[in-house]
Amino acid sequence: MLAVVIIGLTVTALLSALANAGHAGNVQRSLVEMDATMRNYAEATKSAVQSCTAGGSYSVSFMPPAGYSASAAPASTICPSVANPAVLDLTVQGPLGVHETMQIIVRTP
Amino acid sequence: MQRTRPFLRRRSGRRAPEDRGAALFLAIGFVFMIGAIAAGLASVMVSSLNGRATLTVVRNRQYAADGAIERAITQVRNQGGGALSSCSAAGANIVTSLNGATIRVDWTNACTTVRGSDGTPVAQHDVVFSACVDTGVPCAGGAVIINALVNFEQGSTGAVTKTYVQSWSVNA
Repeated sequence: MLAVVIIGLTVTALLSALANAGHAGNVQRSLVEMDATMRNYAEATKSAVQSCTAGGSYSVSFMPPAGYSASAAPASTICPSVANPAVLDLTVQGPLGVHETMQIIVRTP
Repeated sequence: MQRTRPFLRRRSGRRAPEDRGAALFLAIGFVFMIGAIAAGLASVMVSSLNGRATLTVVRNRQYAADGAIERAITQVRNQGGGALSSCSAAGANIVTSLNGATIRVDWTNACTTVRGSDGTPVAQHDVVFSACVDTGVPCAGGAVIINALVNFEQGSTGAVTKTYVQSWSVNA
């Protein structure tokens, strides 16, 4: 009887561990994909600002993967002044409700 | 047909004294085996999460260095006739904090001369920027995260009209 109880508890623990490992794998994949999305979005933003002229505006051409969204704050796309580079807060939202933020600095060449 | 199967009957009856407690030992062995599997799974998960955390730190540091150099370029540009007035002008540095990283950027003049379309020599004001994690000493060697060579186009008054990134290399 004792052996059956022990084996039952152990199997339950094993199934729980396997379920957790599966979930962690999903989260891990999502986070890695979010990292790539963040890099791509940052590069797209920097590339867009490279074509800036003082007083003009820029347009970021970026399509995040399905299930992900990307945004920048401030949302204004007016080119930064030559004397003051702009600090942008980039946010990428993933499918599992997790999100990441990162700051970049862009300037008008 | 008249023979019975005494062997099976005996096994289904009382267990031999030497078999007593065997199930418990088997259960305990099972627990150890499952424990080892669970520990392995936990180790894989922790390792994966640590690896990803490192990736994030590296990414944030790279973009902090990137931003710090952009800020340094703007500073050199704003100085106009200062840092760019002479090729022998001393370099300088700034320290910028971004994404939780404190980055130092050192720069030095790297003037060159090129020939214009009419053959006359034209001075080029290039500046080399090096970004690294700030430790209070100039960026050097393997500590450098980004090296950039930037050309500053100057008008007749000496004011910078445009900047051109000649090279931009990320080392870490």
